[in-house]
Amino acid sequence: MKKLEARHFAFLGLFLVVTLTMLLNIKLDMKASPYTQALYNYIEFLPEGSTLIVSFDHEASSLPEIRPIATAVLRHAFRKKHKLIGVSLLAEGTLIGYRLMRETAGEHGAEYGTDYVYLGFRPQYIAAILAMGESIEKTYPQDYLGNPYGQFELLKGVQNYDDIAAVVSIADGSLTTHWIEYGQARYGVRVVGAVTAAMVTTYDPYLASGQMYAMMGGLRGAAEYEKLIGKDGGGARGMLAQSSAHIYVILLIVLGNIAYFSSRRTKGSG
Amino acid sequence: MGRKFPLAVCFLFGVVMFIQYFSQSTAARNLNQTILDYWQIVFAFTLIVGVFSFFKNNVTHISRGADRPYRVVGLIGFCSMPILALIWGIKADTPFMWMFENVQAPMQSTVFALLAFFVASASFRGFRARSLPAAVLLISALLMLLSRSNIGGYFSSGLPEVANWVRDYPSMAARRAILIGIGLGSLTTSLRVIIGIERTWLGGEK
Repeated sequence: MKKLEARHFAFLGLFLVVTLTMLLNIKLDMKASPYTQALYNYIEFLPEGSTLIVSFDHEASSLPEIRPIATAVLRHAFRKKHKLIGVSLLAEGTLIGYRLMRETAGEHGAEYGTDYVYLGFRPQYIAAILAMGESIEKTYPQDYLGNPYGQFELLKGVQNYDDIAAVVSIADGSLTTHWIEYGQARYGVRVVGAVTAAMVTTYDPYLASGQMYAMMGGLRGAAEYEKLIGKDGGGARGMLAQSSAHIYVILLIVLGNIAYFSSRRTKGSG
Repeated sequence: MGRKFPLAVCFLFGVVMFIQYFSQSTAARNLNQTILDYWQIVFAFTLIVGVFSFFKNNVTHISRGADRPYRVVGLIGFCSMPILALIWGIKADTPFMWMFENVQAPMQSTVFALLAFFVASASFRGFRARSLPAAVLLISALLMLLSRSNIGGYFSSGLPEVANWVRDYPSMAARRAILIGIGLGSLTTSLRVIIGIERTWLGGEK
């Protein structure tokens, strides 16, 4: 049998910390950050019935983090009776986006075709973003289910970004950057982001410069947003596990450094 | 001729696309729309090339006996998804959607989640304050972890503010420098390609 090493105990510890805290189902009290509050305020104070493009720019691997983020934003948008157009710039995000929109629309009694439409995936994201700036109908002649674009009440007055209040990019990578660089810079469409925690610092410069209007980040952002809309979801549920895992990593860093300095001292005195 | 023609096409399209960006005329916008349509069509064909390449590569390796079980599983998944989509469609509650939600998404999430275990291991074995820069990095990481974990506020009300300061100033300054560097690099490389100085995309320098 292979000898157990320190890393194996580190793995086991993390597994136990995450599993046990998920089972406890304790909700942490938290205050919304200014970043999350700004996104909430934007959607909250848009005139009722504004048209938003929700772009699912992520893969299936980030689903545990993306699902609470997307669900919170979609719930808020549907509650405010905004009209949503779903698209995806990554093939894997297409199915996830369709499912999430369908589920959250069902919670709010929103109807397909009048309250929301899902257009689906187009290859080559830069070309797709630029093409929608010229004509959304030419870029998506049909919706995800194969129905003609012109058939939907919601899409009748929607030609290009001029008829859109904002693009909400739900992303686990750098695709929101392309919405900013091509959609915002060239066509002036407002871009807001709902991104995974790892991508937050990537978008900070765009947020500070105003090229990105607002941003919500990570599971914590989702939990904060859930608190703002008054409906719990995966964000609040996962925050204790994530916080505990963070504390566990901090402890490992501290222990590792104690071991390092004590071994250095031993070598120095020896 | 074999190299001059693609260079001429590249130059022509580079210049045309550059000029049309600044024009609002109907002709320029129509041209832009047409080129964008072709761009997507060309990209779709590259996907077809990728699909055939994956299939051929796996079949070749299976016939040689290399990693046979893994490659067979890969090919079964590769073939079954389009078959399910063609027979039952891609709407909700179809076998295609079931496979995606219950097989593909959990498997990808599992692989991605393994990162957490590597982070835990690396934080114990590698994240050491060996020098002053390493110590600064370590303290910044601890601050960010504490602030993002919703427990920072319990230790000190100022801790999240300090973490936000790190994010808003030193981190953003470094990020901006990188972004400006990437932007300038992209600009010069694009210019070199358009005017024909950079020719590696043609498959060599000759």
